[in-house]
Amino acid sequence: MATVTSGQPYHGSRVKTWWTILKISLEERFVYRGDFALGTLMRFLPIITQVFLWYAIFAASGKSQIEAYTKKGVVAYFMLTMISRAFSSMPGLCSGIALQVRDGEIKKYLIQPIDLIGFLLITRVAHKLCYYVIALIPFAFVFFLCRGFFENGWPQASILCAYFLSLVMGFLLGFFIEASLGLVSFWFLEVTSLVFVYNLLNFFLSGHMFPLDLLPDWASEFVNLLPFQYLAYYPAAIFLGTIPPEQVWLGLAVEACWLIAFIIIARVMLNRGIRRYSGFGG
Amino acid sequence: MAGYRPSYLNVFLTFARNSLVRDMSFRTNFILQCISTISWTVMNIGFYLIVFQYTDSIGKGTGWGRDEFFVFLATTWIINSLVQTFFMPNAQQFSELIRSGNLDFALLKPIDTQFVISFPRVDWAALSNLFMGITLLFYSLYQLTTRIDSPLVLDWRAILMYPFYIACGTVIMYSVMITLASTSVWLGRNQTLYNFWFYITNFSRYPMEIYKVGWGIALWAFFTFLIPVLLVVNIPARIMARPLNTMTSQMWQLACFAILATLLCFLFSRRVFVRALKSYRSASS
Amino acid sequence: MPMALIELHNLQKTYRVYQKKEGLRASIKGLFKRTHKEVQAVKGINLEVEQGEFVAFLGPNGAGKTTTLKLLSGVIHPTSGTASVMGYTPWERENDYRRRFALVMGQKNQLWWDLPAQESFRLHQQIYGIDTQQFQNTLDELSDLLGLRKLLSQPVRELSLGERMKMELTAALLHSPEVLFLDEPTIGLDVVAQHNIQQFLKYYQEKRKITILLTSHYMKDVAALCKRVVIIADGRIQYDGSLSGIIDETTNRKLVTLQFANPITDSLLESLKRFGDIVQQEAPRVTLEVTRDDVPAMLTAILDAHDIDDLIVEEPPLEDVIADVFARVSKASDEEPSLDEGS
Repeated sequence: MATVTSGQPYHGSRVKTWWTILKISLEERFVYRGDFALGTLMRFLPIITQVFLWYAIFAASGKSQIEAYTKKGVVAYFMLTMISRAFSSMPGLCSGIALQVRDGEIKKYLIQPIDLIGFLLITRVAHKLCYYVIALIPFAFVFFLCRGFFENGWPQASILCAYFLSLVMGFLLGFFIEASLGLVSFWFLEVTSLVFVYNLLNFFLSGHMFPLDLLPDWASEFVNLLPFQYLAYYPAAIFLGTIPPEQVWLGLAVEACWLIAFIIIARVMLNRGIRRYSGFGG
Repeated sequence: MAGYRPSYLNVFLTFARNSLVRDMSFRTNFILQCISTISWTVMNIGFYLIVFQYTDSIGKGTGWGRDEFFVFLATTWIINSLVQTFFMPNAQQFSELIRSGNLDFALLKPIDTQFVISFPRVDWAALSNLFMGITLLFYSLYQLTTRIDSPLVLDWRAILMYPFYIACGTVIMYSVMITLASTSVWLGRNQTLYNFWFYITNFSRYPMEIYKVGWGIALWAFFTFLIPVLLVVNIPARIMARPLNTMTSQMWQLACFAILATLLCFLFSRRVFVRALKSYRSASS
Repeated sequence: MPMALIELHNLQKTYRVYQKKEGLRASIKGLFKRTHKEVQAVKGINLEVEQGEFVAFLGPNGAGKTTTLKLLSGVIHPTSGTASVMGYTPWERENDYRRRFALVMGQKNQLWWDLPAQESFRLHQQIYGIDTQQFQNTLDELSDLLGLRKLLSQPVRELSLGERMKMELTAALLHSPEVLFLDEPTIGLDVVAQHNIQQFLKYYQEKRKITILLTSHYMKDVAALCKRVVIIADGRIQYDGSLSGIIDETTNRKLVTLQFANPITDSLLESLKRFGDIVQQEAPRVTLEVTRDDVPAMLTAILDAHDIDDLIVEEPPLEDVIADVFARVSKASDEEPSLDEGS
């Protein structure tokens, strides 16, 4: 086992550890190749039904525009939420942590000098990177085919920057929210229902199911107070230009506040949780 | 000695009883699951209420107005709850059994293997979805039959055919599910397969008319004749929500085809299952 | 000649194993092209077992013992060869066959985790169609023999490993099978639990005269229970006979332990090396491994030359003999021409 000698900088070996973890996680992803090939193709399927449903809605309504969206605009919206979701969805994170707590694997984080949250973040980055690399070509292809739906074309450079920033923050926000949920398992072992409720809320309130603009005013006000909109709706709205440019940066600042809040929550929960856990003399 | 046959009914009742005892012992979880399911249905209704603010029907001239569509939605929930209650946990467990090599135990029992892996777990909490479906069904039918503008008249034949086609739909879904689960023998880890199931059934949740636009016809044909999930909800919902005398001959043909499709799907899934067992490896000790 | 209860002819099972190479680059390559290797788990087994026998399969890990049992249970299909148990071909999985035998696997649990064992047993009753009275009698008998009465109503997850194993055995015997396959039944258990289970099996087999095939890599299981031992290594039967016969057949060495009256000197040790290898040395004792035929001559020579307080001549320990057999076999298989590496 490698030891840190006085000559080696501590950060050097830490970076090496993260890099090894990253490599191993990537390898792990490639092992199940049948899984991999199918999974990438399949992500496009739900959009198809959405498109047909909304076309049917528009057809019967006789209107050419619903709120800020034309028929094509709605399709563009759903395609963009796919990208936002590719950043902010964290499958298995919450239940993974709960499983580790339940099975006592958490112990190894008490003994080894590895930070649980940091480790999970790095592995999640690895998984996502791996996914993006493989998915880039099919995604680009589909978007190129469907470029006709993006009636406004590319946004300005500054808005585009805001868009990418919102994607990255969406990733981090999604991560820290789900990590916090998973850490609840230090107190309540059965988190599966919590996860389900969260996914439920996420599905509706994040804009995954429909553009949040369609909500009646009283509901809109409520939803704007929640962090879920940043996980799917907000990046899409930025790109499509349905949010006035002045408000874009304000929204991102609010999102940053939510992010910081959840980072703190996750940290505190981890520390308290570990103290509580080791207090049990397991 | 004649071939030994256990009493499949008794075995199933024991499965159901054991599952109930187990679910009751995790009471909090059970209640939470019921609440989650009910919340999901409420939010779905909310979404469609929003949609119907902007339009009178789904699809031009399809006849799926708000209350008719809610009958459709209720049918979705009813079939979905039957699949969730009786088959979903077992299909997932089947994949897991294959992966871990614990399918051995099922193969040792003097009982049909497909039966013993399809029925052991009954997810009683999922029946809350059935409850919501039936409630919405009755409410919507009430609205339809008591509205002033051409109220719906319920035909006794429709009332008989409805549960029959719900059963057919459930069998079709089960067959697709088992076919997918069986492929774990060849494909290994299965999260993608579970997603695949979700994506396929997603197509079944909407009136088939929405696909008959442009190149959607290809999709419509694929999911009606090849993987007939479009028949699952559409046939019973159509029979119940709209007057029988407005059924086109094409719809009647589809209704007859649905019966054939049910049989074919089940037989196909059986063949895939048996083939999968032959390739089963059993984990090393 | 009447057919034996269990007969295997040239039974073979070959697996295709996909190879994973180390490293990131290789993993990416693995997406497009995979290499595989053919692994012969069972290379041709011939065996006959009569009714009422208690036979042990002994062998190192990966020898093919468990695979053989799984073939006999019908869980997997063989690549070639035939087998018949009670006249049935196992992998046809007829209900009649499955009702007449049982398989127990160590460390694998078939009972419902969250429910009391009692409920799983009731399920068994339904599946096997056991008459209620008979079921109750059998259950009472087994729970008394294994000391499980009080534990029947506790959820299985709360039981200890040994208790769970006993429950598994009970479940397997509820339908009074005529043939019992046991795959490492005592693995992972503490000594007391192992002993209990061994005692139970011995008693039960003698009383019921059922035919049992047991695999293990614990010598104690085998020595306690079986007269007939089949050593399986490298997918083949290396030896089939009695336990004591193993020693006679596979080794011609004996261990001679000498206790010297006078202090041991280096020259003494040098002189002893003439007769054999010094295996152990703890003053005032020395243990030598000597060829059987040399023993009388050696003893005469030493007793003449030295004062001996104590003398023991014994067989080498069974574990060592068997370990030798395994080692020899694996060395031989390493030298075999390598199998197909296809891609």
